[in-house]
Amino acid sequence: MESVQYATKTDLVSGNAIAELRGVTKRYGSVLAASDLDLAIEPGEFLSFLGPSGCGKTTALRMLAGFETPTEGQVLLDGEVVNDVDAHHRPVNMVFQQYALFPHMTVAQNIGYGLRQIRPRIPKEQINERVGKALATVRLAGFEDRRIWEMSGGQQQRVALARAIVNEPKLLLLDEPMAALDRKLRKEMQIELQDLQRELGITFVLVTHDQEEALSMSDRICIMRDGRIVQIGSPQELYDTPKSRYVADFVGTSNFFDGKVVGYQGDLVSVRLSDGTVVEARSLHQVADGQDACVSVRPEQMRLSREEGGLPVHVHNRIFLGEHTEYLVTHAILGEFLVLSPRQTEMNDGPFNAGESLTVSWDAGTALVLEQE
Amino acid sequence: MKQNKRNWLLLAPAGTWFLVMLIIPLSVVLIFSFGERAPSGGVVLALSLEQYANLPARWTAFKNTMTLAPIGTLAALLIAYPLAYFLAVKVNPKWKTILLVLVIVPFWTSILIRSYAWIFLLGGRGLPALLDWIGIEGVRLINTPFAVLVGIVYGYLPLMVFPIFVSLDRLDKRLLEAASDLGASRWNAFLQITLPLSIPGIATGCMLVFILLMGEFLIPALLGGGKVFFVGNALVDLFLQSRNWAFGSAVAVTLVVVMLITVTIYMRLIARLGASRDDVAIM
Ligand SMILES: Nc1ncnc2c1ncn2[C@@H]1O[C@H](COP(=O)(O)OP(=O)(O)OP(=O)(O)O)[C@@H](O)[C@H]1O
Ligand SMILES: [Mg+2]
Repeated sequence: MESVQYATKTDLVSGNAIAELRGVTKRYGSVLAASDLDLAIEPGEFLSFLGPSGCGKTTALRMLAGFETPTEGQVLLDGEVVNDVDAHHRPVNMVFQQYALFPHMTVAQNIGYGLRQIRPRIPKEQINERVGKALATVRLAGFEDRRIWEMSGGQQQRVALARAIVNEPKLLLLDEPMAALDRKLRKEMQIELQDLQRELGITFVLVTHDQEEALSMSDRICIMRDGRIVQIGSPQELYDTPKSRYVADFVGTSNFFDGKVVGYQGDLVSVRLSDGTVVEARSLHQVADGQDACVSVRPEQMRLSREEGGLPVHVHNRIFLGEHTEYLVTHAILGEFLVLSPRQTEMNDGPFNAGESLTVSWDAGTALVLEQE
Repeated sequence: MKQNKRNWLLLAPAGTWFLVMLIIPLSVVLIFSFGERAPSGGVVLALSLEQYANLPARWTAFKNTMTLAPIGTLAALLIAYPLAYFLAVKVNPKWKTILLVLVIVPFWTSILIRSYAWIFLLGGRGLPALLDWIGIEGVRLINTPFAVLVGIVYGYLPLMVFPIFVSLDRLDKRLLEAASDLGASRWNAFLQITLPLSIPGIATGCMLVFILLMGEFLIPALLGGGKVFFVGNALVDLFLQSRNWAFGSAVAVTLVVVMLITVTIYMRLIARLGASRDDVAIM
């Protein structure tokens, strides 16, 4: 009973999902909050739900926790359907957005709350010991007898975290746990949370609408839009091979050009842009001649040059960022776009000045044809 | 300095009111209580403790008040809590306001009229007749302590419902989700989270009802039929009928003292219950 074995990252390959959503849909009256979600959460992974406000992230999390029942589909924990299992019977714990700490209890009483619910009862000394350990884990040793209102925002967040992990849940759900913290503290907590996850080996599911947070912390990110999952993948996959313009725009920044497909060879597609230029780009999905297409090029893959060959632009604005210099350039027909020029280019070609006429080019393989959404 | 002056201005209306309506009359009553009865009624000022020595004559009134007021408060609490809980937690928010208004609807008619309704209901041709009809004979309700209890619980229920409703309504529902998430059954979550966090409402409600019950005289007069009388009834009698102002004043002063002592003990108890820092608003 004492220590439960938790899966580690190496189990990832085994494919035994610790939690699963199968065709899960949730409606609130006429509002479709989640639509046909399919997702398998692997043991020990750090998964994030990323998406704009109102896209259904909290809804998905609440169905995993057991606060909401799906309108359609199944929620599975450890291979068993748990649609009708109440939250208090699920081996899952949640860190709430506003922490939801009990105001009439001390820090230690808050953290021990879950342990005190277990029947047959756990001896008091053992509870105290585990509470002490959890407090040490979140670096709050010695704060046992404080009242909640005597703790700062960051400390409260740690108490909320300790209150969840002390129960050694199979799945820890975190609903924007850092949203209320200032930037600096948020950065610190992100690192701490990652360390903690590695240390405990508990599966984490994090909800956020901060892409940087999702990118830096997660093993996998689940991008959501209007109640749907639009793409799931590792941060790098999502960055390098976004399926849609929506994902490319949400994960990092990108330049988009609309055009029409005028031919293809293998996965290289020729697209005629609105100014008549034909560019080549890689496509991860089937395209047909004459079809509307969206070409995406990351700012760091674009090259600025004073030589001919490329899209003619002139420099609108220049921001020096150290390793990189960010240029906002304007094309007569295609409009404005962003170019990140590395320090090396800057050193060789010298800074490009505002108003200067230049050309922009990129390697065919780095541009992507995306599903227009 | 200026800020200070403004604060005084804010307090001035209430302060004046307090002085004129409470401090002065109370002082007068206190002075009277050491006086003697004038031959034609009223009072002759003196400095005697004779009136206080006479207090045992009114022992029954004190005993009735000091038993029925706490019992009435407790009964009102037991009935009001589930109602307030239902209104705050279970009811569809759309209906909340309407149902809350319904709770205070009885206040729209005078307590006198409503008590007459109870006189009929508890009287010979009301409930006892009904009980008689189904075979339970000889039940007498009117003019008993029970009738008075029914009357005061009925009359003061809204005053108990409201503060409890407010504290339950304010309760963050996520706390209950958190409790449930941590493995608490619904009943345990209620006992461990909802109930302790509604103590401020309970404390306020009990205090309000208890203090008002200590001074009650109308309901015992109507439903107790002169058999179950409160200190309030004794006061009406002494001041208005027998015109023994000196003794009446002594009874009144004693009532105030008893009330102060009880309320102080009560507040100590609540504070010890350890409701969180500023939640016990009224104290
Ligand atoms: N209890 C509810 N009743 C009705 N509609 C709801 C309820 N909860 C959520 N919704 C709706 O469902 C949709 C998804 O809400 P959800 O809370 O999951 O969004 P979210 O992605 O967590 O957003 P945020 O980032 O703002 O927290 C929204 O349109 C919301 O208005
Ligand atoms: Mg949310």
